Amino acid sequence: MSSFHRAERRKSVAERSPSVSYAPDTIPQLAGLEKPQEHNLHIGECDVLVMGTGLVESVVAAALSWQGVDVLHIDNKTCYGDSNSTLTIEQVKSWCQEVNSGRIQHFEDAQVYVTGDIYHPQSKFKSKDYGIDLTPKIMFAQSDLLSLLVKSRVYKYLEFQSLSNFHIFENDSFSTKFANASSKEEIFTDQSLSLLTKRYLMKFLKFVLEDNNDEDKRKTLADNAKVTIYDFLSQKFNLETSQINELIYSIGLCIKPTTKTPEAIARIRRFLVSFNVYGNFPVLVSKYGGPGEISQGFCRSAAVAGTTYKLNTALTDYDPQLKLAKFSDKSSIKINEKLIVAPTQIPKFLQSSYNEITESLKKVNISRLVVIVKKDCKEWMADQECSAMVVFPPESLNSQNKTSIQALIQNGGTGVCPPGQSIWYLTSFEQDSIKAKQDLQCAFEKMESSILRESSDLDDVLDENLSVNKSGTSLVVNSVKLGKSLQNFVPKETLEIICKFGFTQKTYVLNDLSNVINPTDENNVSLRKTKDCEDIIFTNMPSSEISYDGIVKECKTIYQAITGSDDDFFDVDFEDDDEFNPAGFHQQPTTSSSNLKTSDNDMAIASSDDEDNAHPFGADEMEL
Amino acid sequence: MSFPNPPKAIKLVLLGEAAVGKSSLVLRFVSNDFQENKEPTIGAAFLTQKCTIGDKTIKYEIWDTAGQERFASLAPMYYRNAQAALVVYDITKPASFLKARHWVKELHEQASKDIIIALVGNKYDLVEDSNDELRKVSVEEGKKLAEEEDLLFFETSAKTSFNVNEVFIGIGSKIPDNSPVTETRPENGARIDLSSQPAQKSNSSCC
Ligand SMILES: Cc1cc2nc3c(=O)[nH]c(=O)nc-3n(C[C@H](O)[C@H](O)[C@H](O)COP(=O)(O)OP(=O)(O)OC[C@H]3O[C@@H](n4cnc5c(N)ncnc54)[C@H](O)[C@@H]3O)c2cc1C
Ligand SMILES: Nc1nc2c(ncn2[C@@H]2O[C@H](COP(=O)(O)OP(=O)(O)O)[C@@H](O)[C@H]2O)c(=O)[nH]1
Ligand SMILES: [Mg+2]
Repeated sequence: MSSFHRAERRKSVAERSPSVSYAPDTIPQLAGLEKPQEHNLHIGECDVLVMGTGLVESVVAAALSWQGVDVLHIDNKTCYGDSNSTLTIEQVKSWCQEVNSGRIQHFEDAQVYVTGDIYHPQSKFKSKDYGIDLTPKIMFAQSDLLSLLVKSRVYKYLEFQSLSNFHIFENDSFSTKFANASSKEEIFTDQSLSLLTKRYLMKFLKFVLEDNNDEDKRKTLADNAKVTIYDFLSQKFNLETSQINELIYSIGLCIKPTTKTPEAIARIRRFLVSFNVYGNFPVLVSKYGGPGEISQGFCRSAAVAGTTYKLNTALTDYDPQLKLAKFSDKSSIKINEKLIVAPTQIPKFLQSSYNEITESLKKVNISRLVVIVKKDCKEWMADQECSAMVVFPPESLNSQNKTSIQALIQNGGTGVCPPGQSIWYLTSFEQDSIKAKQDLQCAFEKMESSILRESSDLDDVLDENLSVNKSGTSLVVNSVKLGKSLQNFVPKETLEIICKFGFTQKTYVLNDLSNVINPTDENNVSLRKTKDCEDIIFTNMPSSEISYDGIVKECKTIYQAITGSDDDFFDVDFEDDDEFNPAGFHQQPTTSSSNLKTSDNDMAIASSDDEDNAHPFGADEMEL
Repeated sequence: MSFPNPPKAIKLVLLGEAAVGKSSLVLRFVSNDFQENKEPTIGAAFLTQKCTIGDKTIKYEIWDTAGQERFASLAPMYYRNAQAALVVYDITKPASFLKARHWVKELHEQASKDIIIALVGNKYDLVEDSNDELRKVSVEEGKKLAEEEDLLFFETSAKTSFNVNEVFIGIGSKIPDNSPVTETRPENGARIDLSSQPAQKSNSSCC
């Protein structure tokens, strides 16, 4: 148990941290005054110092702050997000330089190419029209982070859009057999499947959706704990490779064929239970950026609860006896309790402690390739949507990829780039970084030729070919469905690339998240202890996981390490709680037009417009 | 998926040096209240307030800085899609007026081009009576800056409520009637409403 006794729940933000005036003694001259004076931190003390504004650190800062803990949150960079940043093209360029000069730990081998286009004075688009995530992520509709966003009200700062299309690359072309269905039921009722296969799929679906406490399910999972999901599906459910691949890599977003059954089932389950929670789609993406945007939201929440923010500031010294921290702006502050330090923010004097902590841990490489192209890639996206996923299973590429490649595609409709363009985020889990680069390039080329095929004067091509198509199904429904015969037929066009950007990231979080889900002082950086830095808790580098799974658990682990328990993690009574009354309950009369204002404290952006949401209360379990 | 839009929502952001009275102005406008050192305990730190001007109703979504202005650490999220801004200074604090200039520049760089900005000299109550020696920024200086930068200009008191509503009415009447509602453009992904909380199933499996 930690000895940290928190102050009583504070009554109001301002009572604890009233606005303080920082007017300088002498008033500077007006001429040449461009920036506000950089102030030193004028705080005598704080309870917890958080270093790094990544997603986990930001959630923790907000969680602590709302429980009355006095938090100082700094970052050694000039923008929010740390390893989770959403960067402009200019920021990407300087980030690459920093990485390659060794100044940002855990990132390596950064490369960036930018066309001259965005530098032309007449160019319509500028560097800041782009928001490039260092850790692109998608959010399952039923997931703990989404619940936390709602509970903490942070969702109010964000805009979410749906993502329905999960394409899988096999036999040299893309397909979406069941992953772009509009309901769980439909996923497994593809007309082209045989009755027998359908029956097996249904049986499997039932197994996956079975209550996790069900005796039989538990036993089956335990019995198959060491069995790969491939063997499990082929032996127990008689499924064929193409169905298995889609279940494992597309729906389950597993990364290797050796994934064990319990993990894979957990992954497939999260996809299925996410259907119909907010609509006929499993996944949401946040507009204007992923984790970078969400961290900003939590930082803002933390600030509302009283956290002090200062970017571009680093810790330069810490005296554990006096508990005195010194900063790069020359200020010193007493830290009453703990220091939370992100791995990118480690000051020199803590480096050996960190090395000691991580010495025996397994290091995981994540390689990314980000390409901004001049195409909206609508062909890959569902109607009305602006994002899609493309997955390349192991062994599907000419490079003989051993692990899957996952690609998230977002076009201008998501606010991350101008209209008519899109960002492709490709991730490889290959540990050999040279091989990873080959796999990424290979996958990129497949996507490139596919989108060119798809978008080049399709109508003309198809009009001629559709007539000879006997199956009677339209060739361009949704996905990249052009048959092989057409591939060579379509004239070569080149894809205009605006920016290409790649790097490798390291983390001690394992790919199956096991050392985050079940953290111990053996396996997790945040729980490991060393003699000389009791007050210091290191956080993890972002995991390789494409979803936000594991984030909340990491936050709670750190929160608990500080306060002794996570029982009151975001247990806050917001004064605006009344907005969660049923729609219409809290309506104000609209007739008082003589008033200037209708006193209306409803904070919802869209409070009463969900009547036309067909299934607001989530998915009904299907009958089997 | 399409969600009908409620009365036109306008995102309004506040900027200005710490302690010039930004939060107090919001509290005055939204709750017609003034309290020394009191901010409401709201999760989102933006308040909504409807404002009727003639036959048009505007719903302001007012974003306070939440103190992130103190060390110039406002996130891009804060400026994004802001359609109106109040740049506030304290007429008894010349330094805060100098800062106002910086914030106007910051808005030009960070916010959308057609953002409507009002320059607001607050704490008018302190100079109201014969206390004129407290005034450190003249009305003319404020007006001049406003003219140079094409801003609305007001002197206000959050304490006495002098001129506070006028600021918001002034901004509201400059908001164009039919500004395009981006959400309904078909090529844009529809926004998902998370405020209707789905029933969480107890057997939810995700971590
Ligand atoms: C991407 C992802 C990775 C996860 N990784 C793990 C993990 O490594 N360990 C873990 O315990 N939970 C993991 N989970 C969470 C897991 O699904 C359960 O939510 C969690 O274990 C709660 O326990 P339970 O018994 O209620 O889970 P159940 O869903 O009932 O799981 C059944 C059994 O399978 C085991 N299990 C589930 N997932 C995994 C896994 N990935 N690896 C090994 N065993 C697993 C559980 O410990 C449990 O004994 C993961 C979930 C996701 C989406
Ligand atoms: N006399 C006077 N004091 C004010 C006025 N507005 C705010 N204050 C006081 O100025 C201090 C800072 O106000 P606050 O709203 O917290 O400023 P913020 O930091 O800009 O949000 C508080 O003590 C307020 O009570 C005003 O119009 N007149
Ligand atoms: Mg304030």
